[in-house]
Amino acid sequence: MPASRQLPYLGFGLGLRVDHYETLIDEPGNVEWLEIVSENYLVPGGRPLRWLERFRKRFPLVMHGVSMSIGGTDPLDMAYLDQLAALARQVEPAWISDHLCWTGVQGVNLHDLMPLPYTEEALRHVVDRVRRVQDKLGRRILLENVSSYISFAQSQLTEWEFLAAVAERADCLILLDINNVHVSAHNHGFSPLDYLDGLPPARVQQFHLAGHEHGGELLIDTHDAPVVDAVWDLYVEAVRRFGRVSTMIERDDHIPPLAELLTELDHARSLADALMQEAA
Amino acid sequence: MSDLRALQQQLADAMLAGGTPLPGSLRGDGKAGESERLAIYQHGYRMRLREALATEFPGLALLAGRRFAPLLDDYVAAYPSTHFNIRWHGAGLPGFLTRTAPWRDRPELAEMAQVDWAISTAFDAADHATVSAADLAGIAPEAWAALQLHPLTHARLLRCTCNVDAFRRAADRGEPRPALRRWRRARHLLVWRPALDVRYRQVEAGELPALLGALHGETFAQLCERLAQRHGVAALPRMAALLAQWLGEGLVGRLTRPGEPTM
Repeated sequence: MPASRQLPYLGFGLGLRVDHYETLIDEPGNVEWLEIVSENYLVPGGRPLRWLERFRKRFPLVMHGVSMSIGGTDPLDMAYLDQLAALARQVEPAWISDHLCWTGVQGVNLHDLMPLPYTEEALRHVVDRVRRVQDKLGRRILLENVSSYISFAQSQLTEWEFLAAVAERADCLILLDINNVHVSAHNHGFSPLDYLDGLPPARVQQFHLAGHEHGGELLIDTHDAPVVDAVWDLYVEAVRRFGRVSTMIERDDHIPPLAELLTELDHARSLADALMQEAA
Repeated sequence: MSDLRALQQQLADAMLAGGTPLPGSLRGDGKAGESERLAIYQHGYRMRLREALATEFPGLALLAGRRFAPLLDDYVAAYPSTHFNIRWHGAGLPGFLTRTAPWRDRPELAEMAQVDWAISTAFDAADHATVSAADLAGIAPEAWAALQLHPLTHARLLRCTCNVDAFRRAADRGEPRPALRRWRRARHLLVWRPALDVRYRQVEAGELPALLGALHGETFAQLCERLAQRHGVAALPRMAALLAQWLGEGLVGRLTRPGEPTM
């Protein structure tokens, strides 16, 4: 592992979903850590926080948010960040992540992970906001690449150049969603390997693995299906380049029985182990 | 306005209104044109809000039936979401249904929505200890008159003119849609969460004055006076029975004894 990554290696984990609460607490199988969706636990009390406390005692946790709007042009939502910081004090996550995107403007929330134009202006804007968020939270954050269906005529950089520059200039880390790279590469006609080659290995802290759907000629990032072969292949390429990186299966919809996800997790582990043995 | 902000504003407008941003701002290609690509986001916005609101309003979904999706689309079109948590967009739905044609012509829709929303917000409201019968044991007889029994702060008393509770119950149990029954006199539903599970029930006509008084912070003596108007000399035993019921249901969150500050 590159020395500058600094945060711990957690192994192979899952996105925590309500459907799996009971099974996961009783029979965690090979799950080594869990990622929670932060917003699901930004609540005053009740069952969600009760379950969270049980999982916190049992697994290393990381917090993954969808509302930071780090690329947004409305002021940073300090009330949201205060809540996030309070949850982090309670959960003590290994790290906190969100997405390299914007989610709304002029007070309207689009509840989507909207892509940015890859311009110098956007880069300066995002870097400044990442620094302020990191100061507020007192830790480096991870930013995840999003799937996208539109791109902007004014973009001057590739997506991976933009992501790498944000990470380097703001001194943050990268949550690399392998499925999102595959989906966006297909939708925009770039090489996913160029994407991987363009990222600074020392800043890649976490992998997401997920599935998607076909929508006409485009791929739609639904995170509601098993990981496809092309994404497994890209995962192998990512492990070759970035080494052992904390990896998880992220399923957001059509949640299957836990056993299905554990099988996928085992597959990820076996692919990574084989590559690591090869490299040793 | 910066180029970035202007672009975001154009895109947001296009997503909400179904139009397109300035010509030439997006790239299309042989795989898909600009409008086809943008349509994925436009569709996603509507679907995500539909799904989130359907989760929060299962009773309304059952009651409205095939009109549920157009109802939600009307609401979302009139009121874009402003909260970071998509679920909280549901807060304005009962009011929208009360005010807006054609939905206001079916008052049961707004009533159902307010019950669903009360259940949703009680689900993860702040945790509170509840008062038990043992907590009352040490109270001196002379202190009872000025005692205040505070229901849990998240508890809601909702006026309904039809059997919306039956719709919610059927939705929770996956049962078929019940028949809509309009009551000759309005009734009240009480929603509260004693521990981890949300409960709701109809309030008996004889219980309502005391419950309203308790919610307004009236003293035990004042609650008895309210009941005396209906029960006469039997008011005290009736109040005692209600108190036992409320304690057993985990409805009372706090007592204020004489001399203690009210909060």
